[in-house]
Amino acid sequence: MQIFLEKRVNATSWARLLVLGAALLLVLLISWFFFLAAGIEPMAAFQIIGEEIFLTKYGWQDLLVKMTPLMFTGLAVALAAQMQQWNIGAEGQFHMGTFAMTWVALHYDGQLPDGMLIVLMLIMAMIGGGFWGCIPGFLKARFGVNEIITSLLLNYVAAAWIDYLLFGAWRDPGTNNFPITKEFSEAGQLPSFGNTSIHAGLILAFVFIAIVAWVLWKTKLGFQIRLTGDNPDAARYSGVNIRTLTILVFAASGAIAGLAGFSEVAGIHYRLQQNISIGYGYTGIIVAWLARNHPLGVVLSAFFMSIVFVSAEVLQIEFGLPISMVYLYQGIILFTVLGSDIFTEYRLRITRFLV
Amino acid sequence: MEFFIQILIAAVAMGTPLLFATLGGVISERAGVINLGMEGLMLVGALVAFVVMLYTGNYFYAVAAAAFASGIVSMIHGVVCLMLRASQIASGLALTFFGTGLSGLFGDKLMGETVEPLSRIPIPGLHTIPVLGPVLFNQDVIVYFSYLCVALSWWLLFKTRIGLNIRSIGEAPEVCDSLGLSVLSYRFFAVVGGGMLIGIGGAYFPLALTPFWVDGITAGRGWIAVALVIFAFWDPLKALGGAYLFGLALALELRLQILGIDMSPYFLKMLPYVLTILVLTLVTIRNNRRGIQVMPAALGKVFFRGEKH
Repeated sequence: MQIFLEKRVNATSWARLLVLGAALLLVLLISWFFFLAAGIEPMAAFQIIGEEIFLTKYGWQDLLVKMTPLMFTGLAVALAAQMQQWNIGAEGQFHMGTFAMTWVALHYDGQLPDGMLIVLMLIMAMIGGGFWGCIPGFLKARFGVNEIITSLLLNYVAAAWIDYLLFGAWRDPGTNNFPITKEFSEAGQLPSFGNTSIHAGLILAFVFIAIVAWVLWKTKLGFQIRLTGDNPDAARYSGVNIRTLTILVFAASGAIAGLAGFSEVAGIHYRLQQNISIGYGYTGIIVAWLARNHPLGVVLSAFFMSIVFVSAEVLQIEFGLPISMVYLYQGIILFTVLGSDIFTEYRLRITRFLV
Repeated sequence: MEFFIQILIAAVAMGTPLLFATLGGVISERAGVINLGMEGLMLVGALVAFVVMLYTGNYFYAVAAAAFASGIVSMIHGVVCLMLRASQIASGLALTFFGTGLSGLFGDKLMGETVEPLSRIPIPGLHTIPVLGPVLFNQDVIVYFSYLCVALSWWLLFKTRIGLNIRSIGEAPEVCDSLGLSVLSYRFFAVVGGGMLIGIGGAYFPLALTPFWVDGITAGRGWIAVALVIFAFWDPLKALGGAYLFGLALALELRLQILGIDMSPYFLKMLPYVLTILVLTLVTIRNNRRGIQVMPAALGKVFFRGEKH
């Protein structure tokens, strides 16, 4: 008997979906054993998670709220990945976005005409994140420095910079010396839907997904980005300026990640504080991977990863499991999806005879 | 003078986890497999070492368990990116997520626990040499073990048949395959062996540097090690220099204030990361200018037996 892999003649999209489904089933199976190991009755855990998320109004709200930043960060990573560039610095770009917008809010709150402040904050978040994204982009384009390492290391720098401000100049003296800034006035807040916590950031995320999809498939720029991703040599010969394009794509990617910070701060917290991102930037990598770097797929995979986040919250409340379980799950999900990819292109054949 | 010797002693201690991780990365990358999961593997090593230390009080068991555990975890990376032919970069990132989550999950209940840090054992005779003596030969056992690992991995890579095979597989896997070498087995063992060294690097944190448990105890050092592999030109001996240089930067970070340099602690925290980016850029520029191609040619490429690409 022999087991071997045979290349599928054409990988159909339903095969892809089937394999993805099987991979996610495997994740559920792993969770089953995980719950057993943690001394939790698996069925009870699944039931509580299902009820809390899908059968309560709060669960749905939370899903959409957590999905919002994930759409931005996933889109940011996906855009760079369309050009075969790894931007794993979305976390830092997120933070630099929050930094730039908070600077505006703290200095110009109440001095601008109606509606101007929030727009200015949005633009500043894009500039802050975009600038942070430009650094690995520039180093890659100009000198060929590995963008994975530089973009990741900048996350630590950005986190230290936010801490510097929160524990220093920006700390609100009126709040018992907590490392938080003072709350923005209403002019610096995104409107919410009714009395839910879902805010306008969600719509903004859909708008940007549409914009990126349009740019990628309907403009010359997008064509150049995808061409460079598929075949950099062909792109170079056809006259694409890869250096400029790399910097541009990193800047755009960073700006979108910065918007995730904008939507979180202006939509939920209304002030800068610690732990605004619970790893949204890193999760963006998985969101983009699950979506195969397609902007529209990002909507679905952001929703899926949002379920993971909210499930972890439920488990934390109900069973006292630490929230860092999210990372463990992200690792498991990425591993299973990566490992299953091969079955979309190859089929497992078992024969009794030697071939 | 005494002060500078103290800084150098600290530099070697701070450089030791980087050294182990860089060695592990060098071995794995020489065989052609990128391991971006170093941060995760170090965290797994740190967690396991801390737990074993807490329950047995035996340093040897702690280090061995850390190496074993991170070896097991790096097998996942090996299976996913070698046998299942997935992207090495994505699989490495998954490994980082996995290790971060694992150490966060099981480390949650360990917060505040402490262990006895390793004590320094002077090597008779050698430790009396001026400067070098106290810096290199009045350290703990794991540091001495790291010297051994540097020598052994250099010898293995450059002086043995196995090393030649590993390096050839990193350069031209198709050729090696046609010569009858099993590319996948060599790569798999390089990934696992490298992963074990990375785990020992992680173990050094709770056993010597910070003898209590904090979340994210490695604080991004795994990523610095990823850059150090490039900085060391995939050479164990150069890894020694690179790791201690960054160890020096980390040691200075804690002592700049004593030197009378008044700098916000938050800026000091940024220093090692900024330094890594700067050094990586300089090394890349230098290599471009001289046209040096030291990077293993097949690094990061999926090897697929019997099919043309």
